Amino acid sequence: MPANRVVPLVGREALGAAHFLLTFLHPETAREARPGQFVMIKAGLSAEPPLRRPFSILSVDAARDTVTLFVKAIGPGSRALCAMPPGGEAQCLGPLGRPFTPPPAGTEALLVAGGYGVAPLLFLGDDLRRADGRARLFYGGRTAADLVLLDRAGGRGLAVLAVTEDGSLGERGRVTAPLEAHLDATRGPVRLYACGPDAMMHAVARLAAARSLEAEVSLDPWMGCGMGTCLGCVVRVHTPGEERWRYRCACTDGPVFDAARVVWP
Amino acid sequence: MNLAVEIAGIRLKNPLLAASGTFGYGVEYEGLLDLSLLGGIVSKGLYMEPRDGAPTPRIVETPSGLLNAIGLQGVGIRAFVRDVLPRMAKHDTALLVNVCGETVDEYAEVARVCDGAPGIAGLEVNISCPNVEKGGMAFGGDPRLTHEVVAAVRKATRLPVVPKLSPNVGDITVFARAAEEAGADALSCINTLLGLAVDTETRRPRLGFGTGGLSGPAIRPVAVRMAWQAARAVRIPVIGIGGIASAADALEFLIAGCRAVQIGTANFVDPGVHERVLAGLREYLERHGLDDVNSVVGTLEYPGLPRPCDAAGTEKPGG
Repeated sequence: MPANRVVPLVGREALGAAHFLLTFLHPETAREARPGQFVMIKAGLSAEPPLRRPFSILSVDAARDTVTLFVKAIGPGSRALCAMPPGGEAQCLGPLGRPFTPPPAGTEALLVAGGYGVAPLLFLGDDLRRADGRARLFYGGRTAADLVLLDRAGGRGLAVLAVTEDGSLGERGRVTAPLEAHLDATRGPVRLYACGPDAMMHAVARLAAARSLEAEVSLDPWMGCGMGTCLGCVVRVHTPGEERWRYRCACTDGPVFDAARVVWP
Repeated sequence: MNLAVEIAGIRLKNPLLAASGTFGYGVEYEGLLDLSLLGGIVSKGLYMEPRDGAPTPRIVETPSGLLNAIGLQGVGIRAFVRDVLPRMAKHDTALLVNVCGETVDEYAEVARVCDGAPGIAGLEVNISCPNVEKGGMAFGGDPRLTHEVVAAVRKATRLPVVPKLSPNVGDITVFARAAEEAGADALSCINTLLGLAVDTETRRPRLGFGTGGLSGPAIRPVAVRMAWQAARAVRIPVIGIGGIASAADALEFLIAGCRAVQIGTANFVDPGVHERVLAGLREYLERHGLDDVNSVVGTLEYPGLPRPCDAAGTEKPGG
C-alpha cells in the first residue's frame, strides 16, 4: 500500500553539476518498494510548482527506512528537490505503480538503459543479484556525461557495457547494437528490460518482437497524480483478446508495460 | 462543534467534497485514505457509454495552475453502477455522480440509470466541460440550453440535481437563474477556465486537444467572485469550487456565500488535502469562538452590500 507523508531529506550527494542522489526517510517505500516502482514527490509545501514529480526508485534501505532517488535538475520541480538542504521536507507518495516482472530462474536479465533511465534498472539489477540471478546492463547515452551512474553500476557486481553515440566512453553507437550482438552470441533464455528515451525503448521492443523474446519497458510520460485519477499520463496499450488499443494510466497500469503491447508513437 | 451541512437535501458530514475529475470514482483512494473523512465525492464525468477521452498530452503545468484536456475519459454509467457503487457502499460519504451527455436526451438517460441505482446521493450535471467536441460547455454557454438540460434531468430523476456552471460566460447569474428556474436543487460553481498554452519551439498547442481547462490556485479569485455572484442571484445553495488547497481557501468560498466547497486539483498535489483542510476549518472555528460551520456561510462584509446570509432569498441583484 502506498503512503502519503511529509518526509525529511536525510542524504544528498551531487554527481557533477546537474545530477543528485537524494535519500529520503519513507518507511513504507523502503520496506515495500519493488524495482520499477516510483514515488510522487515535491520539495517543501509551497504552491509552486503546482504538481509533484514522479521519480523511479534507485534503491531502498529497509533497515534505515530510506529510499534513494536519482534526480536530474532540469525543471522547476527537480531543481527545487536538488536544492533542498539536509533535513528539509518534501511531500512524498509511494511506492506506486506496477513493478518489473522478475525473470524465471535460470533466465538472464538484459537491462537496457538510456541515460537517465538507468535508475529502475539498477534497482532491478541489485534485486536479481541478491537472488543469485544473472543480469547484464547495457548502459547507453549520447556522450560520456550521460552515463552518470556507470561506476556505481560496476560496483554493484553487475556486468556492465557502456555505449555512447559519440564514442566518448565505451563502445561507439546505439545501445541496441551490442545488445543485438549479445543476443546473437547467447544460447540460454533471456528477458529484456528497458528504460530510457521512447525511441530507444521502441527499438528494444522491435528487437524483442523479431526474436520472440519477452521485454518490459518502463514508460515516463508526464504524470499529475500517481493514483490513476487525473488521467493525464495515459499511454496507448493493447489488451490481449481486444482488437483496439485502450488508454492506460502509466502511473497505475504501468509504468512497466509488456513492450509488445505498447502502441509506439 | 458542528461541521455538517445540508445541500439540496443531501446531508454532508462536513462541507468538503472531492471535485469531479480529480478523485476518479473514489475507489482509487481506498487503502490510502479514510474516505469517510470526506463530506462527499463527485465522480468523474459519466456518459452512457465508455469514452477514450482526448489525445495526449493531456496536462500541462502553468503558473500556480494546471491546464488539462482529458476529454472525459470514462467507463460509462452502467459499468460505474455495476462495478463501483457496490465498492463505495462501505464508505460513509455522500457520492454524487457527474452526469454528461452529447445530447439533452443522453443527460436524461444517464440520470434515469442513476435514479434506479442504490448509493447515489445526487447528480451533478456537467454543462461546463471545455474539453469535448459535443455537450459540456456547449450547454453551459447558452442559458436556454442550460434550462433545457437541467429541466430534462430534473424530469428524469428524484435525486437532487446540481448543475455545474461554466466560468466561460459573461454573466454567471443569468445561468444560475436559468438552472434554478429549470428545477436545480443547488449549483456547483465553477468548472475550469478555458485556456491555451503554446509550445514556442514547435509553435503548436501544448495539449493534444488544443485548448484546455485551467484549474488550481491560479483561478481562485475568479472562482470566489463567480460563486459569490451566483449565490447572491439564487435561493438554492451554491457549492464553491476553484483552487482550494487550504482551510483559508475553503473559508473564502463559505464566507462569500457557498454552503459547501469542492477540492479539485489539490487532490493531485496532495491526496491528504481533505484532512488538512478539515483540521484547519476546526481550528478557525475554535479561534473565532464558533461552534457551527454554517455560521460563517454568507458572512462577507462587502462595502455597500448586505451580507449574503442576510440577503438570502429577499434581495435579488438585477441583471
